[in-house]
Amino acid sequence: MTSLLGHPAGGEGIGYSFSQPTAAPVKQHGFYPYTDNGGSTLGITGSDFAILAGDTRSTSGYNINSRMVPKVFKIGGDDETGEGAHIVLSVVGFAADGNALKERLDAVVKMYKYQHGKPMSVSACAQRLSTILYQKRFFPYYVTAILSGLDEEGKGALYSYDPVGSYEREQCRAAGAAASLIMPFLDNQVNFKNQYIPGSGEGHALEQKKAEPLPQATVEQLVRDAFTSAVERHIEVGDHLQMMIITRDGIQEVFHPLKKD
Amino acid sequence: MGSPFDINGGACVAMVGKDCVAIACDLRLGMQALTISNNFPKVFNYAPSTYLGLTGLATDVNTVSDLLRYKVNMYRLREERNIAPQTLANLVSSSLYEKRFGPFFVSPVLAGINETTGKPFICGFDSIGCIDFAKDFIVSGTASEQLFGTCEGLWEPDMEPEDLFETISQALLAAVDRDALSGWGAQVWIIEKDKVTQRLLKGRQD
Repeated sequence: MTSLLGHPAGGEGIGYSFSQPTAAPVKQHGFYPYTDNGGSTLGITGSDFAILAGDTRSTSGYNINSRMVPKVFKIGGDDETGEGAHIVLSVVGFAADGNALKERLDAVVKMYKYQHGKPMSVSACAQRLSTILYQKRFFPYYVTAILSGLDEEGKGALYSYDPVGSYEREQCRAAGAAASLIMPFLDNQVNFKNQYIPGSGEGHALEQKKAEPLPQATVEQLVRDAFTSAVERHIEVGDHLQMMIITRDGIQEVFHPLKKD
Repeated sequence: MGSPFDINGGACVAMVGKDCVAIACDLRLGMQALTISNNFPKVFNYAPSTYLGLTGLATDVNTVSDLLRYKVNMYRLREERNIAPQTLANLVSSSLYEKRFGPFFVSPVLAGINETTGKPFICGFDSIGCIDFAKDFIVSGTASEQLFGTCEGLWEPDMEPEDLFETISQALLAAVDRDALSGWGAQVWIIEKDKVTQRLLKGRQD
């Protein structure tokens, strides 16, 4: 039936002459506040040292933004070089949030020193970092953080975090894009998981090999092996390996080349 | 709903050594997070020194393993000899590609020693039959990322059978302990020329 008003009568509502049927929907725009910049970090502690390492590649999707964007930072140093610092933070995930978090924690640790006249302990810094992360519970810093230093007894200390501040002190931890590749390797080589003492017994009496702190040279080699392995199989990891070695003499920073493909 | 590859869980790995190969799998069968069985081997035998591991959707693991058993039996009756690993690789590949637009949700891993040349051979496949020839190791299953990490870190060329057994076992156990959908025991086969050793690993039961 032809409409009397000369325009098609809609199935619903009143068919006004000026009401145009919406042909194309209005273009939707979106703002995505997060990006994943890839990369991986890794921390292992020993009896009198701790090592925090990360690769220096920065990616977005299949693009490489840069081959030299460090993910490991000295916290609470006296100047912009980080001289005098005794705590190290690594951040992996969204690089902009990582930088913002690093700047905030650095300011907090410096303020602590000015106000209390003594450097902040690693355990106190660890609790403060958790609080900072949880303060943004509903708009999180999109990062997996690892904090490292020496505890009050001079032993290596390492704290790992989720993006909203859950944290735990551990012997070793891998984070970021290649965490699932590196972590089981660490379980086996650092904590000796699934390794037993030969001839120590039958069945349930068979004794597990105990995890004990490893020498510094061994740990350095493990870190380098873990990263060269990750580089082989993960495209977001590569370019350079940045290592921060924390001892009672201070923090030593070293770079090693990784594959750039 | 998740990927059909991740419903039942499971892991498989194959490695090359000096004049030997090894293949290993976990024993779990689950429905999402619920474990149904801890006795579900995923490695199947097709000739005296040729083994195939199948991870993915359990119903397809059974179907594909049975289909290949039928095809390999027919091959042996016609040819009056055992199938070579390279031949089985092409049979697996073409059988999977036949279902190009409605695939079996499996990721096969093949390991064997060629009876005529005496050379070790391993390869892996995607679900539609693309062959991945590797000189070192092949991984598959829900713990494949973890397996890539452990294998890349532990594997070295020209290992003797005893070292190869230790390496593949540690690589598999470490990997499945970081994957909630794999584990609950493991089985390992060490294949040498004219000798196959099968071992059952207890592993973590959680």
